[in-house]
Amino acid sequence: MSLVYADNNATTRVAPEVFDAMAPFFKEEYFNPSSMYDPAREVAHAVAKARRDVAQHLGGIDAKQILFTSCATESNNTAIFGAVRANPRRRHVITTAVEHPAVLGVCKDLQREGLDVTFLPVDAEGNLDVGRFIRALRPDTLLVTIMHANNETGVVFPVAELARITKETDPAIVFHTDATQSMGKIPIDLAGQYSHVDMLSFSGHKLHAPKGVGAMFLRRGTPCRPFMIGGHQEEGRRAGTENVPYIVGLARAVTLAAETHDEDMVRIGRMRDRLEGSLLEKISHLQINGGGSPRLPNTSNLSCHYIEGEGMLFELSAAGICASSGSACTSGSLEPSHVLLAMNVPFTAVHGSIRFSLSRYNTEEDVDRIVEVFPRVVANLRNMSPYWDQAKNRPRDDADKAAAPRPA
Amino acid sequence: MAWEYSEKTKQLFMDAVQGKPGTHLGEIKDPDGMGEHGSIACGDSMRFTFRVERHPTDPAKDVITDARYLTFGCTSAIAASEALCALIERGHYTPIEALKIQNKDIVEYLEGLPDQKIHCSVMGAEALEAAVFNWAQKRGVDLAALGIDIHPDEQNEGRIVCKCFSLTEPYLKRKIKELNLRTIPEITNAVKAGGACMSCHHVPGGLQDLLDEVWGADAKHPAPLKILPNIRMPDDTEIPTPGDGNGEVLSPYHFSKQVEKALDDYVRPMLKRDGGDVEIVDIKGTLVYCRFQGACAGCAGAAQTMTMMIERPLKDMVDERIRVIQV
Repeated sequence: MSLVYADNNATTRVAPEVFDAMAPFFKEEYFNPSSMYDPAREVAHAVAKARRDVAQHLGGIDAKQILFTSCATESNNTAIFGAVRANPRRRHVITTAVEHPAVLGVCKDLQREGLDVTFLPVDAEGNLDVGRFIRALRPDTLLVTIMHANNETGVVFPVAELARITKETDPAIVFHTDATQSMGKIPIDLAGQYSHVDMLSFSGHKLHAPKGVGAMFLRRGTPCRPFMIGGHQEEGRRAGTENVPYIVGLARAVTLAAETHDEDMVRIGRMRDRLEGSLLEKISHLQINGGGSPRLPNTSNLSCHYIEGEGMLFELSAAGICASSGSACTSGSLEPSHVLLAMNVPFTAVHGSIRFSLSRYNTEEDVDRIVEVFPRVVANLRNMSPYWDQAKNRPRDDADKAAAPRPA
Repeated sequence: MAWEYSEKTKQLFMDAVQGKPGTHLGEIKDPDGMGEHGSIACGDSMRFTFRVERHPTDPAKDVITDARYLTFGCTSAIAASEALCALIERGHYTPIEALKIQNKDIVEYLEGLPDQKIHCSVMGAEALEAAVFNWAQKRGVDLAALGIDIHPDEQNEGRIVCKCFSLTEPYLKRKIKELNLRTIPEITNAVKAGGACMSCHHVPGGLQDLLDEVWGADAKHPAPLKILPNIRMPDDTEIPTPGDGNGEVLSPYHFSKQVEKALDDYVRPMLKRDGGDVEIVDIKGTLVYCRFQGACAGCAGAAQTMTMMIERPLKDMVDERIRVIQV
């Protein structure tokens, strides 16, 4: 049985082209780019070229504004802590309630240090209210950090517009966006439409580069104190010996994504839409979370009412299908996904969420397999749910009242 | 978090899901005992029903012959439900004997459960207990007289400690003792308390206090987290407050009235000729946030229109420091 991998928002397979580009830098070109001899200079040139390639695909910006890091989490930490420490006079940060933990956790830490943080709510479709955003901007706001595309629902925020409004209100406010999910899926022109964005983070392993490499765009002149301190690498903005093979791989992956972007995204979007359409037809009481909003073409977040997500994943996994869920049992805490809670997904559905996320390596056959297997999984679990009327194959009449606190 | 379930757990789940013979999925019509535990909002819940063979004279000697469950929950919750029913049928217990089945028996039957899934086995034991109480009520068996603690009303009358899962102080204290829970993570794994917002861990009357009360204070446990007060720096206001140009300060109310009036008198008539309109989203100091409507929305010349047809007149008529920002 071949594996259907539909969890590409978690991580992706390394593209063969990327692997090939990386290979020489393990065995032959292993030199430290900071060393002085000729072979090391070759390696330094490879890093410089990688930097130029990434800059090229972010709108042809000056390559010195790109820093390589170990992951998007490091980029986010660098950006947020760096901006806060560079501007101690101001004490207010704006973010959203649906950020990735790498931003949300950092913002909560800032709160513990005494800063004011505004967590902007979202509506039932996962959208931000621009009016609310404007009201949140204050004279002592130092940083706005808002993700480009949501990792769970794929909902895309109007980051270019929010950045423009921020900078027109007060140019001293730093605007950061976590573009981990959108990189390679939505074209980002940091010299054009996105010219008001000061900092941008992303990682390699969401776009077919390996895990353990990330990058950060830091616009020239943006106040930001370094997070990793040590050597002179990255002009002192991020110390630590460059992870050469991975940096080369990241750049290759970014280039590859740009080359195949138009064709890939149309094809992936069509597969996603067919997947959702077929499942909606076959499964009752199914909702698409964020379905009414602009979304990434590859992400589908569904909620099946009256069943729990972990059981679905287990059964799918037994059938060779990899997906993920926002249910409490898979989150590591006992609370279901903070994103779905922020969207006010009804309590009958919040534990029954499942996310399919596709990549360029998925095929129409993969979609067929999911469409064949998933409705059966849902039917099986509903068959054992105390909120489902097995005889009539619909929710029990009292299922909506099931939220009563647990009886003793 | 990858699955670290035992083979037995996985097998029971798959058998149950596929409705293999010998599994206990379902609900008994007019059961002799029915118990529920958990709720859909908390992420797992179970309805447990059983049928007894009635003893002709002494109801206390009824024997459970059939046990069934319906469970909303994860893999291990379903496997634990299956294990509970299997244990009961295997033992040919009377309901009172069945009460001796503890969550650790379920864990043993499953050949182990990951720590953070222990609460699934506790849910099974709780549903069983509730079902036995229900049976006792129906059959007129006085459990209290038999020396069984039926801990009445602890859920209704106790102070709620964990708000996320609405668990009360008497319930938690009983569980801390019954299951020999010594730390907050152990409490969370067993009964979920403190597993969501975590605000009940170190507050007065919170989980740590309950542990101290039950087991005696432990001098080694870490001091509660200190929450620093908000430190605000003095506002270095950069957005000027509106004035009328003669040094007189306009209140926000009068300022916005004047902006509206200028828009109504001079700007909107021009825009409306082209089938467009403008809406004020917000005003902050002298910054006016506007959104185009109708034909103006999406117009290629919107940015220029904003400056020439809206910002310019507002500067002239209300305050020269006004800046218009397009939303």
